[in-house]
Amino acid sequence: MDKKELTRHEYYSNRELSWLAFNERVLGEARDKTNPLFERLKFLAITASNLDEFFMIRVASLKDMVNAGYKKKDIAGMTPQEQLDAIHEATHAQVALQYSTFNRSLLPLLSSNGICFLTEHEQLNAKQQEYVDRYFMENVYPVLTPMAVDSSRPFPLLRNRSLNIGALLKNKKKSGAEFAAVQVPTGLSRIVQIPDEEQTVLILLEEIIERNMHKLFLNYDVICAHPFRIMRNADLTIEEDEAADLLKEIEKQIKKRQWGEVIRLEVEENADKRLLKILKKELDIKDEGIYRINGPLDLSFLMKMYGLKGFDHLKKKPYEPVLPKVFREEGDIFSKIRQQDILLHHPYEDFSPVISFIREASRDPDVLAIKQTLYRVSGNSPIIAALAEAAENGKQVCVLVELKARFDEEHNIVWARMLEKAGCHVIYGLVGLKTHCKITLVVRREEDGIKRYVHLGTGNYNDATAKLYTDIGLLTCAEPVGEDATAVFNMLSGYSEPLQWNRLSLAPLWLKDRFLELIGREEKNALAGKSAGIIAKINSLCDKDIIEALYRASMAGVQIRLIVRGICCLKVGMQGISENISVRSIVGDFLEHSRIFYFENAGASEVYCASADWMPRNLERRVEILFPVEEEALKERMLHILDTLLADTVKARILTEDGTYIRVDKRGKIPLCAQEVFCEEAAAFHQQDKEIKSRVFIPEERIE
Amino acid sequence: MAVKIFAAIDVGSYELAMKIFEFSAKGGMKEIDHVRHRIELGTDTYNTGKISHERVEELCEVLQEFSQIMQTYHVDAYRAYATSAVRETVNAPVLLEQIKLRTGLKVEVLSNSEQRFMHYKAVASRGEQFSRFIGEGAAVVDIGGGSIQISLFDNDSLVTTQNIRLGILRMREMLMDLKPKTNHYEQLLEELADNQLSVFKRLYLKDKKIQSIIIVDDYISYIMQKLGKGQQIITAEQFHGFVDEMQKMGPEKCAASLGVAQESASLLLPSAVLVRRILKATKAVNIWAPGVSLADGIAYEYGEKEKYIRNRHDFENDIIACAINMSKRYQGDRERNRLLEEVAMQLFDHTKKIHGMGKRERLLLRIAALLNDCGRYVSLEAAAECGYSIIMATEMIGLSHAEREIVANLVRFNKAGFDYTAKPDPETSLKIAKLTAIFRVADGICRSYRTKVKEVKLQVRDEELLITVDADEKITLEKGFFGRKASMFEEVFGIRPVLKQKKNLQV
Repeated sequence: MDKKELTRHEYYSNRELSWLAFNERVLGEARDKTNPLFERLKFLAITASNLDEFFMIRVASLKDMVNAGYKKKDIAGMTPQEQLDAIHEATHAQVALQYSTFNRSLLPLLSSNGICFLTEHEQLNAKQQEYVDRYFMENVYPVLTPMAVDSSRPFPLLRNRSLNIGALLKNKKKSGAEFAAVQVPTGLSRIVQIPDEEQTVLILLEEIIERNMHKLFLNYDVICAHPFRIMRNADLTIEEDEAADLLKEIEKQIKKRQWGEVIRLEVEENADKRLLKILKKELDIKDEGIYRINGPLDLSFLMKMYGLKGFDHLKKKPYEPVLPKVFREEGDIFSKIRQQDILLHHPYEDFSPVISFIREASRDPDVLAIKQTLYRVSGNSPIIAALAEAAENGKQVCVLVELKARFDEEHNIVWARMLEKAGCHVIYGLVGLKTHCKITLVVRREEDGIKRYVHLGTGNYNDATAKLYTDIGLLTCAEPVGEDATAVFNMLSGYSEPLQWNRLSLAPLWLKDRFLELIGREEKNALAGKSAGIIAKINSLCDKDIIEALYRASMAGVQIRLIVRGICCLKVGMQGISENISVRSIVGDFLEHSRIFYFENAGASEVYCASADWMPRNLERRVEILFPVEEEALKERMLHILDTLLADTVKARILTEDGTYIRVDKRGKIPLCAQEVFCEEAAAFHQQDKEIKSRVFIPEERIE
Repeated sequence: MAVKIFAAIDVGSYELAMKIFEFSAKGGMKEIDHVRHRIELGTDTYNTGKISHERVEELCEVLQEFSQIMQTYHVDAYRAYATSAVRETVNAPVLLEQIKLRTGLKVEVLSNSEQRFMHYKAVASRGEQFSRFIGEGAAVVDIGGGSIQISLFDNDSLVTTQNIRLGILRMREMLMDLKPKTNHYEQLLEELADNQLSVFKRLYLKDKKIQSIIIVDDYISYIMQKLGKGQQIITAEQFHGFVDEMQKMGPEKCAASLGVAQESASLLLPSAVLVRRILKATKAVNIWAPGVSLADGIAYEYGEKEKYIRNRHDFENDIIACAINMSKRYQGDRERNRLLEEVAMQLFDHTKKIHGMGKRERLLLRIAALLNDCGRYVSLEAAAECGYSIIMATEMIGLSHAEREIVANLVRFNKAGFDYTAKPDPETSLKIAKLTAIFRVADGICRSYRTKVKEVKLQVRDEELLITVDADEKITLEKGFFGRKASMFEEVFGIRPVLKQKKNLQV
């Protein structure tokens, strides 16, 4: 088949629809009866907030394209309008599934477990009514800002993603209905617990407000009141060429973001028609963008419900990451790294070694410099504290802070300023590129010269998400890697590209070429009758060139096994094209986040990790790093990780020829959950170590 | 700590670069960091004679950053050198002072020959590889923007080094106007190169076997790194293949495919053509691009001076070899010059306590001795002035401009009257006076005998320098001649040289 043939639209799936399919897999976890109830609530909450983000970024950007009259077709041959139509159709179905899960499965289960969740204030009994009304007057009323609309007052500006209550009012003295709205305050807990001796009774804040709406508009009769929620276009595109100061520009953009075009309106299913008409007109939104919801709006509150105390039996036992043996032994971290490369598999293994790597470096008198890229860090991050301390200790600290991390800008600016105050050299990203790579370099002056210690990772330097995301980290002091790391930071500081790279491959320089080369090598080997094979674990696959190369390799007979958590635009099982490709997706308790690549290479196999997915944005518009895992023992460990994921029969779903995902046929197989296996393995290691620790000599007691 | 950290800064015509090195007894010289910033200082200098305010601003900013990086590494010492872009500005001293005030860095200007010598040292720092190549006969081709420097090696020693005005930027500029009008840009480049190379070929390549060429430049070396995946040696054939390929693709596309910056693309073709023509002229079969830069040379020189690295190659010998070859070209009297060299060295060594000068001055005196009669080639009458002019016009690898000026003055004042007023600074002036004094005495001794002087014995007694000469033939020239020659010595050092002949008992 020639090159042109392989680019035909029908060989690819649309990425947005593929993403919705991924969210449906998450929803599947909420529907999975084998999961504990509270875990199911959490998964449902995740689908809701996922969908929010999806609308704000992806749908918004498609909307922009439609508005701009942009008609270019996507990888699967769909115009922006066609994609929007398809997305709305699929989303409506998904939302229906969300709420049927909530109403039909989860609510009854909550009730049978002693949690009475009142979805409507009409369900309150007299005593409860009294409580919520008092609660309203004491806590809620003072912070509400009712906004009425009439000829002198225009339709209020409603904040993006805010929950509001819309009401129709009738002036007691005049005729005709007027519209009014009040925002449900975000400062108060959305879940209100009503005291009850026998069970846990919960109601949502908006229901309490709705019930007390008349107290806000004393001269009016409330005809009807219903919660609604809007979603606006929030895609943050920064005109970098125009902005002299990137930082200021982003600060400006954040404020602007609130008031974009409305792209989705969620409203109670039984909302009054007149009210809906007003909203529709004022918000300028079409029918397909209106979602009538059969239940509470914005299910992300379920995440808060997960935190409810006293229901541990309905949750999965929280996993405690294990501190690897080598870090429990005596000695400083540098001598440990000097002994051998150290691989960390989070969250099974603790993230704390990474923090102590930076912390020890900040205090070590021989350390000259610490350089790090930061993309998303946790609030109150110990890494930030350590970096600031290092600067105060007179070390040169250079931090690249990526301000363009989605939705995190405001947060990032605060601590970036803090670092600057402490004396760190802070680089605020690169013009036109997002710095997505995760790399830390510690330069140390030792007895026999300068030594460089490097941490490379697939996940962010975020101690909070490191407990939830699966990621790989590598600590090494191999000289070629150290040289490359120095070069990376020189480049990030604005200096020219080094004349040569030793081990690391960088996007957007030529990481894509490197991947194409590696895939192409397998193709060649297969054609030459040598052993060939590819295993790749990524979050998303939607780069056309990569997919094409994979098809080509498959056609040459290369066995390709892909573990793609989210979007996958590649189609499997196409005759003569992708028969040798299998795709599985793992959605489990931990978010699969590591990117691992295995290439058979005619017997001399190579294993790599990367910060990048196989997406055009990763390969072309971001600074990413691909690094090899070279020590034999570590390579084996990586292979074991891949093998285990490929053997998963519990959380894995297989992509089928028609583009749907199905669960693994468990018949004749022992159920295997890869994430659990990793937990057990790490724990077993831990256990074994404890025994060794307790091996102490016991002095004999003197016999009197 | 046994390890020393050194920073080498190169303020180049197109780029500011800094390399951080580590010197240790165990590991020798090791590069730790290499920072580069592109800034075309040369464009300003070559067009207007001055570096623009904006560029100076940028220059200082980056140097300031370099200085911070140096602090990070706790650098023990640094050297910062500027090359032609600063050398050719009319206000270089002002500029350097400004840099010093704003960044605290002391930047020195290198003469072309010093710069080339450092490149050459950088190549030599690659040790064994270098020895092997020059042992087989090699040409070090140092390609710059304005000119190229070709140094020929035969059997381990430097034969000659020549500067040819065939810089890639110069070639590009010369053909700039023609480019749109012609489809034979490459041919024009080739013609241009061949024209200049033919003279060189006729003069120096006659019966030499050049096995390899060693390239020092910014473009071909880089490309070879990429092409050979880190391998630095390719055959001439491979190189021709590459140039053919490039001509087919066009330099822009080629640059893109190799990951070379677009701004460099326009210099890629002139570089490639030039190397190709040199390959043809020398009939070399290998190309080695060690990928060294000025910074390597700066560090090597520092390490050598501070004795962190042992000399693998005798660079002084190269300078002398150059002088001998130069003398040959101007048909110097080899026998006589060698004698003069010997006597001058002896005299220098014996009067060390009196003159207090060092190794470098000794080398300059030695070179002056070797070149003392080159002016005669042009005019017997004005030999002194002609000698001066010839030396001032001939670059000698390894000598700075100031040093070359000393040598030229020694040759001049050996014969012509000493000019006390025309020197650049008092220190240099004094140096020239001292060396001239010694040189004249040496010349006086040699010229007082017809044949070879067997032995010269020196003795300082009271206020006399007693020179006892053992020679077969008697002094034939009148005593007054030596007295005139020696008077300067007395003036400078307060000691009067006295010439005596050793009594030969057999006669």
